[in-house]
Amino acid sequence: MNNASFVSHAELADLLRRLSEQAEVWVPTRQAMTPHRPMFRPFQAGMDLDFQPMPVTSAKGVLFPQGEELLKFRKEKSLSEATVTTLLWEDPAVFRPTIVFGCRPCDARGFLVFDRAFLQGSFVDPFYKARRDKNLVVSMVCPEPDAACFCGAVGSHPADTEGSDVQMIPVKEGYVLHGLTEKGQEFLKNVENTPSQAQQEEARQVWTSAQGSVDSGASLTDDAQHFFKRFADTAFWRFHTERCLSCGVCTYLCPTCYCFTLTDETNGVHGERLRSWDACMFHHFTQEASGHNPRPTKAERFRNRVGHKFSYFPEKHGRFACCGCGRCLRHCPVGMDIRAIVRALGESEEVHD
Amino acid sequence: MRDEALNITNQTEASLRIVGFLCNWCSYGGADTAGVCRFRQPPLLRIVRIPCTGRMDPLFVIKALAQGADGVLVSGCHPKDCHYAVGNLYARRRLEMVGRFLPFIGIDPRRFRFTWVSASEGQRWQQVVTEFSEVIEKLGPNPGLRSHAG
Amino acid sequence: MNTLQSIVESIWDQVDVVLGWRVGYDPLHPVPTFVRDRKDIASLIWNPLCAPNLSVFLAKFFRTASQRDKKIGILAKGCDSRSLTALIQEGLVDRDRLLIVGLTCPGTVDPDALAAARTQSGPITAVAFANGMVEITSADGVECVPLDRVIERRCQRCRHAHPVLYDVVLHDFEPRPVPKDPFAHVEALENQSLEARKAFWLKELERCLRCYACRNACPLCVCQDHCLAESRTPKWVTQKDTVADKFLFHMIHTLHLAGRCTECGECERACPMKIPVGLLKEKTAQIAMDLWHYESGTDPGARPPLLSYDASVTGI
Repeated sequence: MNNASFVSHAELADLLRRLSEQAEVWVPTRQAMTPHRPMFRPFQAGMDLDFQPMPVTSAKGVLFPQGEELLKFRKEKSLSEATVTTLLWEDPAVFRPTIVFGCRPCDARGFLVFDRAFLQGSFVDPFYKARRDKNLVVSMVCPEPDAACFCGAVGSHPADTEGSDVQMIPVKEGYVLHGLTEKGQEFLKNVENTPSQAQQEEARQVWTSAQGSVDSGASLTDDAQHFFKRFADTAFWRFHTERCLSCGVCTYLCPTCYCFTLTDETNGVHGERLRSWDACMFHHFTQEASGHNPRPTKAERFRNRVGHKFSYFPEKHGRFACCGCGRCLRHCPVGMDIRAIVRALGESEEVHD
Repeated sequence: MRDEALNITNQTEASLRIVGFLCNWCSYGGADTAGVCRFRQPPLLRIVRIPCTGRMDPLFVIKALAQGADGVLVSGCHPKDCHYAVGNLYARRRLEMVGRFLPFIGIDPRRFRFTWVSASEGQRWQQVVTEFSEVIEKLGPNPGLRSHAG
Repeated sequence: MNTLQSIVESIWDQVDVVLGWRVGYDPLHPVPTFVRDRKDIASLIWNPLCAPNLSVFLAKFFRTASQRDKKIGILAKGCDSRSLTALIQEGLVDRDRLLIVGLTCPGTVDPDALAAARTQSGPITAVAFANGMVEITSADGVECVPLDRVIERRCQRCRHAHPVLYDVVLHDFEPRPVPKDPFAHVEALENQSLEARKAFWLKELERCLRCYACRNACPLCVCQDHCLAESRTPKWVTQKDTVADKFLFHMIHTLHLAGRCTECGECERACPMKIPVGLLKEKTAQIAMDLWHYESGTDPGARPPLLSYDASVTGI
């Protein structure tokens, strides 16, 4: 392979430092207080990088920030008229280029779900597009899938390249990098070294063994098609969601969950329209102005989450809105297992209240 | 732009500000009495009238201090003199709790005070405000969490 | 000898449902389960990995009983039994509807600490407990770690490892001894300057995602779908992703729990970002002890101090 580059462990920090001069480089870093839960943060010199455990948060905030200001407004009072609201349009911020460095293949594929939602419909989201155009994804072959990982069941594997511009493969002395897209090839010009024959060979082995390292049983596709058959089976949904706490851990950590809410946050006469993350597991998510809530309990809310990820979205866009990273399950306070629920869809056993 | 807004609501932006939560039935009257009697008071206080100190949510204290109020003063009827019989008896437990909690989150507890002033105690009101204002002036501006807000 | 299964069998005729734990997606994460079918009794487990406090489901989902309802059987560790007591104190759950199976508790395991204590790295296939040791089986073999080393922070400071309220008790594990200073963690922070404390909270709370897991996992957060944190009128917190807003949300949670919190530590355990939010509530519990000699969730007949008053006190 001609387009391979190599960066040693010792050179990595320097590479990131150089990259961060051109772009905001998001890397998984270890937090002093929570050493086992790395998070994605913009790179700064001296940071404690940690590529080993799966980061607790996904990298989605890079393209879809938790809170994003869409416009500013000001309320003015004139002598003759009632309150007048003036919109202050500002040119959309000039977004810095971003690099997601060292995310998992599942995280990289998560962005593809965002692309469908924000770019490929009848409406293109200008904020997302501006960020996405200047974004590059360097994913790393997943070194250690755990019991919550299920990329295998959603049509992927731990060495998947889909959605990545560059793939990095961890070897003993550092990382072998492969450019996968034009952008990725361009990126590799930042890395001068090429891997040795032995390193190339090692990378091939790491890749191959990683590819088969997640056995999540059969694909969820077959079970997911029974969703509509189960849709009205209230007892089924009550039974399977009984222990759910209806919090937002699953959706906020999910690399593919893109639901948001719009609010006007005012401060005196000034205000801004804000787009922020929302979670379908919250009661308020579907609360209507009249007070009516079409999804009044967690059973309906969870059913919607399963349906969106495994039925409605795939029907419309041809892929699961789930990348199998397993964060929803790994960090759920009560271990809600969405895989198990999808698998149960197809089971014939009747559930009674 | 934010500065403009502040100017609209507060002409003396540079000065320190104390938020006073005063019970409608006593301390608010006490402050009025002090004013009618022309007792000199420092100008730091901004008054929020509440129906009873029993209405006083401890969160008011924390939110005001987090947003950068330099001091918070709560004043109500003397115990056993409450217009609603026991509102201030509930209040003193809550306020005692929040007062002791403040230092744990890094807020100087001296910036918060609660006291009892009746409608006739104009003189006492002057004394309370003067003393507390002196404390706040000594402590200086409270940064709160303003620099951490959006 | 009593086993979990034999106890549940013995109370089965008196209850409609038993709240317990069963094996989750891996050996480290048992999950809450609701047993309504006698044959499922066999699936119940109890060990130091059974962390979730099951009383969280009571006020939220079992609040109203129909006429025909029998009792609710519930497994309760020491801290869980305090939460149950507090719910009873506040009239949120009827004592007569509960059949409490108390569990003497050696402390629950912090999965992060367990990961750190291991010398092997392969995926864990089984975990067993014996003689104060955790026995971890993985593809690399079996290794033992002292339970004491991998216990959650909430358990290191536990004063009620033996349940305070129960109908039957299961003594499978030696209850953890009461620590010398249950408020050592609070005091460690208080030994720092005001500035340092503020900096500490800003740094910790900056990670908060406002997923509200801490709130929803809290057995005494009973406002349900009407939480102040999500209310727009009145609007206490904005949707902005700033630490000031996150801070205020945690103040809402803490102050609504003041004098009520039973220190079960579920808020902290549920937090995916591992923010020590439990510390905030521990401080309020300490204040309630200092001021009113009140320990929440230890006396079903007591009234929480902030829901009552004492007219005889003078001087403040």
